[in-house]
Amino acid sequence: MTPIVQCRGLTKVYGRKIALNQICMDLERGRIIGLLGPNGSGKTTLIKIMNGLLNPTAGEILIGGVRPGVETKYKISYLPERTYLYPGMRVEEMVRYFQDFYPDFRMDRAYDMLARLQIDPRERLKNLSKGTKEKVQLILVMSRDADLYILDEPIAGVDPASRDYILHTIVQNYNRNATILLSTHLIADVENILDEVVFIRYGNIILQAGAEQIRRHEGKSIDRFFREVFAC
Amino acid sequence: MLGKLMKYEWQSTWKLLLPANLLIVVMTFFACITIRIGRSSHYDITENDGVLFSAIMILVTYIGSMFVVMIGTAIYLIYRFYTSAYGDQGYLLHTLPVDKHHIIIAKVAVSTAWVLLSSFLIYLSVLFIFASDDGVIPELVDSMESLTREIGGKPSVFAGIMTLIAFVISILARVLKVTACLSLGQLSANHKLLMSFAYYFGIYFLQQMAGSFYYAFLGLINSKLDTYYYGRPWEVTLIAGLVYVVIFYAVTWYTMDKKLNLD
Repeated sequence: MTPIVQCRGLTKVYGRKIALNQICMDLERGRIIGLLGPNGSGKTTLIKIMNGLLNPTAGEILIGGVRPGVETKYKISYLPERTYLYPGMRVEEMVRYFQDFYPDFRMDRAYDMLARLQIDPRERLKNLSKGTKEKVQLILVMSRDADLYILDEPIAGVDPASRDYILHTIVQNYNRNATILLSTHLIADVENILDEVVFIRYGNIILQAGAEQIRRHEGKSIDRFFREVFAC
Repeated sequence: MLGKLMKYEWQSTWKLLLPANLLIVVMTFFACITIRIGRSSHYDITENDGVLFSAIMILVTYIGSMFVVMIGTAIYLIYRFYTSAYGDQGYLLHTLPVDKHHIIIAKVAVSTAWVLLSSFLIYLSVLFIFASDDGVIPELVDSMESLTREIGGKPSVFAGIMTLIAFVISILARVLKVTACLSLGQLSANHKLLMSFAYYFGIYFLQQMAGSFYYAFLGLINSKLDTYYYGRPWEVTLIAGLVYVVIFYAVTWYTMDKKLNLD
């Protein structure tokens, strides 16, 4: 089976700054992968290119064997680090919006998660706190049966008490044949669910390995290893 | 998917723009009544300062509301296009499994419909105001017919329909000009909105230059310039409008599809 993501010489340049430097990487299906790196390392640029929100300067990226486009948007469920919900809509209207556009959207799953997180579907999005909006976004994204979930900082804006539930939600709700690519700074919170880790620095992939392999080989947690690798 | 995009585009704009357009209808009603009373032979409003002041205030509010609705509609539609396509909501819009052509068509069609509705209501409103004064409408029709003949045109139902179509196309071209400028502006790393304004004025300047060259060229090949141009009032507007529609649509599509640059 073809990898869900294939990058070949992927490069992105902003003016004089090289955001991604000839990245070559394959991401296999059925894995939870942590995309880890300090600020400005190129994580979000890579994620945006995967989603067709940016075009690469050079090289190629394939999602399930095809270039980013309408077809790949059916396969990817993307949670950006920004709040992209329409503030004038109610939560239930946003749920209908997702159901209208994504054939793989599961409404029952969305309402179940909303109930568990005690979010009123009748509430207008503009009346919700930033953290609650992020929870709604995560619920919408995880209510799809996608092939690839790309989650950019999914737990950064929520309180620590909700983080466990959100991570539990992510693990419980994704299709086992799908891949989750999770970008975050909060490595300690997520490392127990990761199968694989990709370290990125200055637009270069400096490490791609199994989470367990790193723990065994380095004799330390991924969080600790990350701190050592990226120590200032 | 195009139908769904248009449905949501309509739903997110009508809550503000429908009441704004209803304001035109309501203000026209009050302005017409005020003019009727003012022209009534049974009652002289100048005898009572309070009534006179109220009448003046109604007419001033009427004129003000026309400007507010026209300018407000334009600003709102520009703001909405920018935030939904190139702001935070762009992250949702551009990750929907829909063709970029459909996104542009949905947004431009709904925006054009609103601008046309506002324009139509304002024209209708002005006609009603004139109609409040008996005899003005027939006079207006007569003078428009004689003006059309004077500039070399032939008044006919066909010419009227074509003028209307040319008007719709020119509105569509203006909407697409804005979307093209906002799309070009988002290419900049910083000050995207400011750059959009710069593109708008740059394109406006180029359009004026193109128009000047066109008429200068006509002047060279035809000494009777007035008759050549003015005898074809809707043809020139229609052809120029269609050319601009094609250019601005292509610019919007190319930048949105090939050069998307969300922050």
